[in-house]
Amino acid sequence: MLRAARGQQQAHGTKRSWHVVVFSVGGMKFAARTEEVVEVSPWTEAIPVPSRTPFVKAMMKRNNHVMPVYDFAARLSCTVQGSPLLCLVARHLDGPLAICIDADVPSIETVEGTSIRPNGGGDIESLGSVTIGGHEVVILALQRLGRPTQDTVTR
Amino acid sequence: MGLRGRHNSPNMPVETASFLVVRLGGSYFALPAAGVRGLLTQAEAGYEQVVTAMGTVYQLTDLAQRLSVVADLSGPYMRMVLYSTERIHGAIRVEQVVGLVEVARKDCLPLPLQFQRDERSWFGGMVLYADLLVLILNPLWALGESPGVTAVSVWQAEQPIAETPITVGGSC
Repeated sequence: MLRAARGQQQAHGTKRSWHVVVFSVGGMKFAARTEEVVEVSPWTEAIPVPSRTPFVKAMMKRNNHVMPVYDFAARLSCTVQGSPLLCLVARHLDGPLAICIDADVPSIETVEGTSIRPNGGGDIESLGSVTIGGHEVVILALQRLGRPTQDTVTR
Repeated sequence: MGLRGRHNSPNMPVETASFLVVRLGGSYFALPAAGVRGLLTQAEAGYEQVVTAMGTVYQLTDLAQRLSVVADLSGPYMRMVLYSTERIHGAIRVEQVVGLVEVARKDCLPLPLQFQRDERSWFGGMVLYADLLVLILNPLWALGESPGVTAVSVWQAEQPIAETPITVGGSC
């Protein structure tokens, strides 16, 4: 459905602008850098896994591979909305990570590095926040999701 | 002409591992088959906290409770798995026994690193079997014996992004 091609990503060297995928969870808008998103595809049933790791209690099978599911909606204390729900596969530092997101099809936006403000994500791992369409949108640090918070703005 | 790399031949022996696959609380688990001593129905096992079979006393272990899963152990497919390690004998009630399976060791996958707490000592890995995701139980932990392994914070070791780390096999 939506796949971030490496060749289409912005040059990191300049850091003048970022391409971000804008999506929603429980009606709340979030963004993530395109290079941290592997793909967005229809959500399929997750397989429960006994676990004590917060928000990591299931896995998803894709073709012949399995990946953990991060219950981001539970972390936000909300419920994903719409149907059919979508699966955003994050390029996490520890390997692919599936996240269930709202049915709203994500969009790709370009934001200027200078427009990114620090924090805005509360205790959520973020790279900062930015105004998109008149709304403040937190740019998630998908690579570090579930890791200790470290807000980083790289311009 | 030189020979480079390894070529798989149909005649090359494949290292395998045998497991008893069971269902419990909606998930599927694999116990290394070497420790399986028997399978009993509820009627055969009785309702005591210990089961004696072939002169060995097996202590009942509530695996569902240890895993914090809700299991229905009243169904007709419930079985008591008699299991032994070198030092301990345990009886584990499961909702259903799927069967004895043999998998190539290369197909045993490690638990993804995002699982970072106690479950890392519960499971030795996982395997895809007949469309099922099967978690390989650490029998020492399952029977309540200290496995000598503690959960390790995987955050201690930063790793570069791996495209598909789950494809690395050999976890059994």
